[in-house]
Amino acid sequence: MDQINPQRRQIFQALIALSAVGGLSACGGESQSNEPRLAQAAVPGYFTNSEMALISAFAQTLIPQTETAGAAQVGVPAIIQALATDWGDDAYRLYWRGGLASLGPALKSPTDESFLAQSPSVRNQVLAAYDEQVFNGAIENQFYRDFKNTVVQAYFRTETGATEELAYEPVPGEWIGCVPLSEFPKTWAT
Amino acid sequence: MADFDVIVVGSGMSGGWVAKELCEQGFKVGVIERGRAISPAEDYTDFVDPWTTEHLNRKSDKDREDYPIQSQVYAFQTFTRQFWVKDKEHPYETADGTDFTWLRGYHEGGKSIMWARQSYRLSAIDFEANKKDGHGIDWPVRYDDIAPWYDYVERFAGISGSKEGLDILPDGIFQPPHDLTCAEIDFKDKIEATFPGRKVIPGRVANLTEPTEEQMALGRGRCQARNHCYQGCSFGAYFSSKSATLPAAQRTGNMTLIPNTAVHKLILDEATGQATGVEAVDVETGEGKRITARAVFLNAGTIPTTMILLNSATTDAPNGLANSSGQLGKNVMDHHSGARGYATLPGHLDRHFFGRRPNGFYIPRFRNHTEEGDGFVRGYGYQGGAMRGSWSRVGYGKGVGADLKAQASTPGPWQISMVAFGEVLPNEKNHIRLHPNKTDKWGFPVPIMDVAWGENERAMVRRAIKDTRAMLEAAGGINIQTDDPDTAEPAPPGIGIHEMGTARMGHDPSNSVLNKWNQSWDIPNLFLTDGSFMTSAGCQNPSLTYMAFSARAANHAAELLKSGQIG
Repeated sequence: MDQINPQRRQIFQALIALSAVGGLSACGGESQSNEPRLAQAAVPGYFTNSEMALISAFAQTLIPQTETAGAAQVGVPAIIQALATDWGDDAYRLYWRGGLASLGPALKSPTDESFLAQSPSVRNQVLAAYDEQVFNGAIENQFYRDFKNTVVQAYFRTETGATEELAYEPVPGEWIGCVPLSEFPKTWAT
Repeated sequence: MADFDVIVVGSGMSGGWVAKELCEQGFKVGVIERGRAISPAEDYTDFVDPWTTEHLNRKSDKDREDYPIQSQVYAFQTFTRQFWVKDKEHPYETADGTDFTWLRGYHEGGKSIMWARQSYRLSAIDFEANKKDGHGIDWPVRYDDIAPWYDYVERFAGISGSKEGLDILPDGIFQPPHDLTCAEIDFKDKIEATFPGRKVIPGRVANLTEPTEEQMALGRGRCQARNHCYQGCSFGAYFSSKSATLPAAQRTGNMTLIPNTAVHKLILDEATGQATGVEAVDVETGEGKRITARAVFLNAGTIPTTMILLNSATTDAPNGLANSSGQLGKNVMDHHSGARGYATLPGHLDRHFFGRRPNGFYIPRFRNHTEEGDGFVRGYGYQGGAMRGSWSRVGYGKGVGADLKAQASTPGPWQISMVAFGEVLPNEKNHIRLHPNKTDKWGFPVPIMDVAWGENERAMVRRAIKDTRAMLEAAGGINIQTDDPDTAEPAPPGIGIHEMGTARMGHDPSNSVLNKWNQSWDIPNLFLTDGSFMTSAGCQNPSLTYMAFSARAANHAAELLKSGQIG
C-alpha cells in the first residue's frame, strides 16, 4: 500500500515551518504592518519568486494578521507551491500560472499601482471591491474563486488556523447535541 | 485428519461472527483472509491532525489512477486509502448497458473497518414482503426466529439508539442514543406534526456510548465523538471484526488467522457430498495450497463468495457448486440511494453542538406502510443531519480580510442534508457471471456484473424526491435543493455498498441456494452468511442482519458438528 513517504512529509512540513518563520519574523520587525517579508517566504518549486510574491500578498490580504497570524505568516503560500509542484498535473499548473498572470492586472489600484506595490490597506480595499464583484456576478472569474477557496482551505487546516482561529478538539470525549452558543462560540475546526 | 474443524473464508463483518461463535464452542477455526493482517498501530490513522495532512488531503492523480473506482467513495481519503483495494489489481467488468460500482477492501476485518455503522433490524413486515407482493421467493425465516439473535449480536456489538416502539423498525438492545441537534429536534417536531405517519429518530449506530464489562474486557472503550471512524478507531469504540469478534475468537486459543490467502475453489468429496476444504493461492508468492476442514463457511463478501462457488464447477455440477437450483449468482440487490436534499433551517442561532457525532438522524420507512405508495411496492428510509455551517463555507462566498476571518470563526446557519435508501427488488435478471477467459493476476476469473434497476426503483426514488422536498418545506427550510423528481434516476448498483442476494435462502431446494439455517441444500457442511443469503433487501442498512444470521448459523452448524450430522 502507498503511504505518504515519511521523508517527503518531513520536507513538506519543514518548508511550511520555514516559510512561517520567515513571515513571522518579518512581522515582528514591522508590527501591525501585515507585510510578511515576501522574499523570505519564498519556497522553491513550480511557481517563480514573483508568482510566489503575488500568492503571498493575495493570501495575506485575504486572511490578514488580526489577533491571530495571517495566511502568508502560517505557510499558506508554501502549501500552494507544494500543490502545484507535487500534487497537480501540468493542466493544473498552467491553470494557476495563467490565472495569476491575469489576476495581477485585475487587482491594480485606482491609481494604477500594482497589487504588490500597494499598501496593505489599499490591497484590502482593492481585493474587497474585486471580491464583491465576483460574488455579485459582475465579474466572471473562476480562477479567483478557486484561489480564494484554496487559501481558505489551507489556512484553516494549519495549526494556527485550526486551533487559534477556530475551536479544535481532537478528542471531544462526548457528543452533546444542543448547547448554548455563548458557551461554545467558535466554529469547530473539524 | 482435517487442518481445522471449520474454515471461515473472510474475516469481515460476518466471518468474524462465525469465527467467534465456533471458537467459543471449542472448535478449531481457520479464518482465511485474502488481504493482509492489520494492526491498529500501523494501519489506523485516527490521530492525524489536519495540518499534518499533505496537499489539503486532496486525492492525487495517482490515487485516481490506482483507485479509479474506490476513490469515489466518501470514506476514501488520502489517509484511508490503505483500506481500499487497488482497482487495477482487482478488475471486474460490467455487461453492456449496465453499471456497477464495486467498493471493497481486502484486509483483516474487511469492510467492517470502513463501514458507516448504521445498524437497523429488519422487521416482520420485511420478512413477509416477498410472500405478500410476489417478488422473489418467500423468506424461510420470520422476524420471531431471528429476533433473539438480533438481541444477542446487539448486546455484544454495542448499538446506540432510542426505543421507539415502531413495527417497521423494531427496537433492540440499545446503549444510549446520540442526541439530536437543536435544529434536528425542531425538524423532528415539525415533520411529526405535519406527517403523523413519519418519525425522525437518532440514528442507530454501532458505536459504544456506554460500554459493557464484556466490551471493555475486549479492550474496547467509549466513543470519543471524534467521527474519525473511517480511519480506524484506536479506542475500539465502533464495532468491527478487528475490535470485537476476532479478539473474542483469538482469546479462546482456537482461531488461526491465515492472511494473504485468496480462496479460489471449494473442494467437494463426491462420495460423501460434503465439502472437504478449499483451494487457495498465497497472494504474495502465487503458491497454491489446499486447506481442509470438517465444515466450510463462505464469508468472502457477496460477490467473491458467489464467484468461488461458480468457479468450483465440476463435471457433475457444471454451473458451479451448491447451484442445483440455478439461482447462484442471481438476484443481485443493493440499496439504491438518492433523493438527496439540502436546505438551511432558519433560527436557533444561539445554539450549537459539542463534539463530532459519528451519526445523524434516521427517518424509518413510511411509504406502503403508514402512507400509501405511489406506483411502487416496498419503500425507503432516510439518513440525514442538521449541523451549523462550518468554516469551509467562507471559501465559497463573499468577504475578505478580518471580515472573512470573523465569518469563519462564527458558526454558520443550520444546514440540513438528507438522503433516501430504497429497497431493491430481487430480480433473476440481475446476476453475476464468470468471465469466460479473463482472470486476475492470481488466475481467478474476473466477474461480470449484469445488474440494472427497474421501474420500481425509479418510481421510488422519484417519489422520495417529492417527499424530501415536502419535508424540507414543512420544516421551514430555505434555499432547498433537490433533484428533479420528473427526471431523476436511482444511483447505479453498487453505490450503496450493500450488494447482496446471490445465494438466497428459501423453503425449496429447487428455487433457492440455502435453507433457513444459511446451509447449502446441496452440500450440508457448507454455510454462507455474508450478504449473499438475503432473500429480500429491506431498505435498512444490512450489516446487523448479517451479524444475527451469522451467529445463528454458526450455532446451528456447531450442533450439527457435535451430533455428527455433518463433517
